[in-house]
Amino acid sequence: MNLKNAIETRRRDRQESDLDLTPVMNIFLILIPFLLLTAVFVKIAVLELSLPNLERQGAVAQQQERKTVVLNFLFIKETGFEVRSPDLKLPAIPKTAEGYDWSTLSDQLKAAKSKYPDSEDIIIAPVNSITYETIISVMDRCRESGFTNISISG
Amino acid sequence: MPMTLFMQSALPKVSRSRRLRSGTFKLRLTSMIDMFTILLVFLLKSYSAEGQIVTITQDLRLPESTSQTKPRVTSVVAVTQAWILLDGRPLIGVDQVMQQSGFLIQPLVDELSRLRAISEGIGEMSAQLAGFQGSISIQADREMTFELIKRIMLSCGKVGYNNMMLTVMQVD
Repeated sequence: MNLKNAIETRRRDRQESDLDLTPVMNIFLILIPFLLLTAVFVKIAVLELSLPNLERQGAVAQQQERKTVVLNFLFIKETGFEVRSPDLKLPAIPKTAEGYDWSTLSDQLKAAKSKYPDSEDIIIAPVNSITYETIISVMDRCRESGFTNISISG
Repeated sequence: MPMTLFMQSALPKVSRSRRLRSGTFKLRLTSMIDMFTILLVFLLKSYSAEGQIVTITQDLRLPESTSQTKPRVTSVVAVTQAWILLDGRPLIGVDQVMQQSGFLIQPLVDELSRLRAISEGIGEMSAQLAGFQGSISIQADREMTFELIKRIMLSCGKVGYNNMMLTVMQVD
């Protein structure tokens, strides 16, 4: 009697533990191709850059009269960076062994920003051989330091 | 009578063989479900309902940036290592541009002027349609030199495309 009971319960246990996973597999098989199609692996963004508009030069001139312009320059050379801000003596930033010295550039830009908190304009002047990637990185550092209005000068 | 006898004798044999076969063909789906669950979570994370507005030109490695600005639909000037393309059509080779003495890229200027005339024409036809916006996307290879960028920007600015959107790969 005991033995029969034991066999009964064991059989019932086994029946309960056996899950039917086929519907789950069906859902997965439909969901995965759908999500694969809509997945975005490379996110694309843009950096906006405006040239001075030649057709609306009058309007620009009027704007410039209203606020005092602080011209911040950032030179990118083969040997390193150079930040020039009026009345602010900043040493040139030479390249280190790993390449450009990004942290010092950020520090100098922040120093320039704290001296003129209202100023949002910076002019980036790279030499001809600088790569596009470097220019984009410099633009990123400028934006992070608070210079949102970036111009490029050749 | 013989029929029932046959069935009685046949039934246990069939069920025994079926039990044997079902024992050998039992699939173990647990590990597969594990895998699918991980895949599902990953794909849900990278899910985007917006879709992609920008198509990236082949043979091009975009630079990386922390910019969060979303791209808009405009004409695209793509600069690969060999060619300058406008909306997918090759205009002039990069070597040719670098060899010329002036800064203006004449084929690009011509094509952009044509585009500008078309979009201005559309703008005049109806006030609801957006006319000439003056914005253009630039997709350029990360290894490109500033000398070439300068020439392209000058050519775009000359025609009146002053709002340039530099297409970059977004990094978090």
